[in-house]
Amino acid sequence: MTEKTNTLDALKLPIAQLISCGDISCELLVDPIPRPAPEPIKVRLKPKQSRVVLVDHQKPNSMAILKLTQTILRKRGVEVNDEILVKDDASRPMTAAMLNLLSQEGGLVLCGISD
Amino acid sequence: MAYETLQDIENCMDNGWSDGLPVIPPYGSLVEEMLSAIGWKAGDVIGEIADQNIIVRAEKAAATAVMAGCKIEYGPLLRSLSQALLDPRFNIGGVEVTTGGAAVLVIVSGPIVEQLGFEHRANALGANNRANATVGRFAQMMRHFCGSGGGVLTPHGTVGHPGRLSFCIAEHPSTEWGPYHTQYGLPASASAVSIMSAEGPNSCNNHYGETGVSILDTIGDCMNHYGQTAWYYRSGGFVVVIPPDHMALVKEQFSREQAADYIYANARRQTDDLIKAGRIAKDPIPYAEVEEHSLRSPLKSLDQLSFIECGDEGGRFSAVIPRWVGSQQVVCMAIEEVKK
Repeated sequence: MTEKTNTLDALKLPIAQLISCGDISCELLVDPIPRPAPEPIKVRLKPKQSRVVLVDHQKPNSMAILKLTQTILRKRGVEVNDEILVKDDASRPMTAAMLNLLSQEGGLVLCGISD
Repeated sequence: MAYETLQDIENCMDNGWSDGLPVIPPYGSLVEEMLSAIGWKAGDVIGEIADQNIIVRAEKAAATAVMAGCKIEYGPLLRSLSQALLDPRFNIGGVEVTTGGAAVLVIVSGPIVEQLGFEHRANALGANNRANATVGRFAQMMRHFCGSGGGVLTPHGTVGHPGRLSFCIAEHPSTEWGPYHTQYGLPASASAVSIMSAEGPNSCNNHYGETGVSILDTIGDCMNHYGQTAWYYRSGGFVVVIPPDHMALVKEQFSREQAADYIYANARRQTDDLIKAGRIAKDPIPYAEVEEHSLRSPLKSLDQLSFIECGDEGGRFSAVIPRWVGSQQVVCMAIEEVKK
């Protein structure tokens, strides 16, 4: 049986600097990869409140899966918001306004669910 | 080749500076020469990927061009291509990470095809030719380097396709219906580079048809199979590739506009069958504009269909290239001489 690797643990970021050294001198290679600046948005890994907020990103079956998730979680006693938020466009990043709204959310935000 | 250079290639590959194939190490002197050919200074801002907080400076594009094996003479083309890749309409981050496994399709058209030695005849969709291979590779490397949030985002293509290594098509310098870029408002005399995100090409074989209608029906049928991504959102479109033997029949009956009209009118499937087959949601979103009991085109509008003339004589094949549904526009840029 093959052991599965956790993708996040295995993520190796491209190096920011490489040096080429000959017999006499060294030179920097030019980094081809643009990096985010400032740092990418930081998210809380543990929710402050015991509540789930669902976001449909409009990919196939996203809404159907989220509605079922809402039902199952409620049966298990988890508080889930009634409104399932909808992201405008499946293929484009979330708008800044929506990201800002969700970044204020104290509960767990569940997004990116589809098949 | 000196041992140090081999070591530099290995270092690039081991540290994330690669598309999976060996690269030319981006030595400063080579990048400087490339910058001069492209007509930019190292620190010039050439694009922004706002949602990833990334600003792209010219030296990144020049280093990528060196690494992909591009020649200095490609500079003016690479300038326009870089601008197209970083145009927000192209959605470079989306193309990099999508489950759709799309690649950047690069189409080169006009006099520059012969000037730079692009292959536009044999194996036009995957030519073993330096200009095609390295310009196509440059575009995929830019997608990979600039679209991944500095390496934080991982690609999620479910199956992908070989074009994610290189996918560049050059059009015949002389065409029956006018150069490719005239479909996007540029004059026939221009040289241009056009990009879009695309799935892999589907071959359309018809050796016995005797009319242009039979060829277009075959092409339309190829666009119409159940597995075609376009059926639900319909926001991508198709590029139809017509080589000389098929064109000899088609041009007798159709202009380019007439061919587009014919395919749009006739290449359709019953919507109810698509729902039954699971290709359209039973409870569709409004954007999909689903009308039950009607014939559905995989195109939302006619402008999603474009035609390119390339490929060799002596074989009765065409091809259909489905565009990825997530970047909805073709970005077409004129190639201008670089001012020194």
